[in-house]
Amino acid sequence: MPKTVYDVIVIGTGAGGGMAIKTLCEAGLKVCALNSGRRINPARDFRNHRMPYEMKYRGFGDPRKRAQSYGYMDNEYVGEGIWEHGITYTTAPGTEWMWPRCHAVGGKTNFWGRSSARFGDIDFRAATLDGYDVDWPMTYEEIAPYYSRVEKMIGVASTVQNRPSNPDGEYLPPMKLRCLDHILQRGAEKVGAPYLPDRIAQLTRSHNDHPACHFCGNCTDGCDTGSFFSTPWFLLPLAEKTGNLELRTNAVVRSILVDENGRAKGAAYIDRDTRQEVEIYGRAVVVAASCVESARIMLNSKSRFWPAGIANSSGQLGRNLCDHMYGDIGHGYLPQLLGQPSFPDNVSDSTIAWMPRWQNLKNPREEKFIRGYSIYPGGGCGEFPWFQHHLEGFGSELKRNIKRYYPTPVGATIQAPSLRSDTNYVDIDPEVKDIYGIPVVRVHFQWDSNTLQMWEHAKQVWAEVLRASGGELWGAAEHSEPPGYSLHETGTCRMGNDLRKFVTNRFGQTHDVPNLYVCDASVFLCCTDKTTTISILAFTLRTCEYMIENFRHGSHG
Amino acid sequence: MAGQGMERREVLRVMALAAAASQFPGFRRWAFACDHLADGALQPRPAQYTPQFFNPHEYASLERLTELILPSDGSPGANEAGVSEFVDFMVWSDPSLQYRFRYGLAWLDAHASNLHGKAFLDSGADQQTSILEHLAYKDRYRQGEEDGRAFFSLAREYTLMGFYTSKVGLEQLDFPGFKFYAESPGCPHGGDPEHLHLPRPKY
Repeated sequence: MPKTVYDVIVIGTGAGGGMAIKTLCEAGLKVCALNSGRRINPARDFRNHRMPYEMKYRGFGDPRKRAQSYGYMDNEYVGEGIWEHGITYTTAPGTEWMWPRCHAVGGKTNFWGRSSARFGDIDFRAATLDGYDVDWPMTYEEIAPYYSRVEKMIGVASTVQNRPSNPDGEYLPPMKLRCLDHILQRGAEKVGAPYLPDRIAQLTRSHNDHPACHFCGNCTDGCDTGSFFSTPWFLLPLAEKTGNLELRTNAVVRSILVDENGRAKGAAYIDRDTRQEVEIYGRAVVVAASCVESARIMLNSKSRFWPAGIANSSGQLGRNLCDHMYGDIGHGYLPQLLGQPSFPDNVSDSTIAWMPRWQNLKNPREEKFIRGYSIYPGGGCGEFPWFQHHLEGFGSELKRNIKRYYPTPVGATIQAPSLRSDTNYVDIDPEVKDIYGIPVVRVHFQWDSNTLQMWEHAKQVWAEVLRASGGELWGAAEHSEPPGYSLHETGTCRMGNDLRKFVTNRFGQTHDVPNLYVCDASVFLCCTDKTTTISILAFTLRTCEYMIENFRHGSHG
Repeated sequence: MAGQGMERREVLRVMALAAAASQFPGFRRWAFACDHLADGALQPRPAQYTPQFFNPHEYASLERLTELILPSDGSPGANEAGVSEFVDFMVWSDPSLQYRFRYGLAWLDAHASNLHGKAFLDSGADQQTSILEHLAYKDRYRQGEEDGRAFFSLAREYTLMGFYTSKVGLEQLDFPGFKFYAESPGCPHGGDPEHLHLPRPKY
């Protein structure tokens, strides 16, 4: 039997993989997509409005398994086989790294936070502005049309805000601000910080045959109506409609295969069900397994051509790891709302408003730190009265107090980028292999002092905002969440024009291996103060159209 | 109790982290949790509950304790929500809690017996309330009752967990989530962005 050669092998089905599959299939290319876990049915496999009392452990999860949980999204409300628990990773001494991986088809797009701000020239030209690191190899003008197309495709609700750090896009009507947002907005005004509707990929009206959001607040456990963007709801059906897609699930990629010229010729994967290794072949390969996993696959793809990992002649593969610092910069309550009836605050998992970067805008070195961060506020009537820790006592008084405080709690997380550093990177652990015999990735990461300065700054500003809003601060976390927690890691395959310093060119095509492309956040030079998903989608769209051109020109056989 | 203190701090740390996480956009889940075992979750409540972990005396004491923490006082309390059953189930499911609950209930009995010559359950309602007041309010704390305070805090935590994840508890909060709204709901107080002229507090 002659072996099948696909046009493109796509490794991963998250934001980048999903967009690649859709774009390439619609261009008539035959695609085989590999996903390391199972396929889910988003209309059936998610929480679907089940209440806590409909869960065996009321949402707390089986205590005997709690230690293995990644926390938040990895919970009792989503089914088995969605989060990766079988494949390990290691951390260098002193590194704390939390690495939740969704291995169901669609990856983290099933559960993402949906905030969707564009990167801008303030990000792409940051090095010119403040002298740190290097500029991106492209301008905002080049990528802007791709953002517009992605926004029209997935639907992003927001307003035009004219912020120097945040280019505006093409938006659906915004989510409406809640009581707590109005109060905090007034406070932020007094402090001189912006408080605006977030850019949120949530359908405030029906869009491209996807129904409008029904504002149930279920989002983080997966949407059962497809009213926010995810690969299974938005991209996979379009790709499958073309008849050009073969999706292989439970396929854990070991390495990228190379031909006698050192070019990519396919991938070797382990079938989770049979534990057999399988090889498949393609004229081009897209790696879109997420920043750290993509680096692991490429570093594990050693051959006589690529002894340090495929496309790694620069030695930069796996280096330059950046991440967003997240954490509780302050939680408290708004006394104005004490004793008021409950409000529908939890209509989108609390993602309604944001405080987009306002630091270092006029002068890039105005603050003690360079670059900038954003804040995501939240609060109001939630699923559980967590604020009860702050109310003492028992009996009728406690019951009444919990009811009185129920609409009042507010909190916020910072979203602060780490700076590129030589000491933050991933490599392959020389000693440890996973259950399939594949060497595991080892993470080396510490927060830098710039990010820690932002953390302190954000705590101060947020306390001022709360005070100026008439609110009371209960406390803040002493330390941020561990790195990895935000799921916004970037940088392991950075793009740049100089092939000695960067893994890919400005289109995400690796310098060394012209038929190998990278379509995830690993190509970003840093993580900026914005979330990564919409940028992964926009950059992937651009990369794939570039690749399609290369196919047309015959560059990929 | 050397090990116990450590463990308790760890639980509190996890809960505090989770509590904070509940405020983060996108990160609503306040409890760290994991694999889903939903089927069988909605078992009908038997008329007579048979505790899985606690012995009959412990269970009766626990039931009383949860009722004191969240009484039926015109609106439903721990009793109507079946909180003691939830606590029994969670303690049975979680070996790290078992000693702490068993020791804590024994502490309450020994303490009540010292003060009033009777087990906690057999003490009068006023005596029970008085015992708890010294464990619950900072300005009423007494030296030597540290273990009792730690237990009260743990029991309160699990009582509230059980109550506010139950149907009656969520109804009492008037939890607004998981409903269907035709459009983004938003603030109903137009013209009063600072919310300084709200109707009189209802609660």
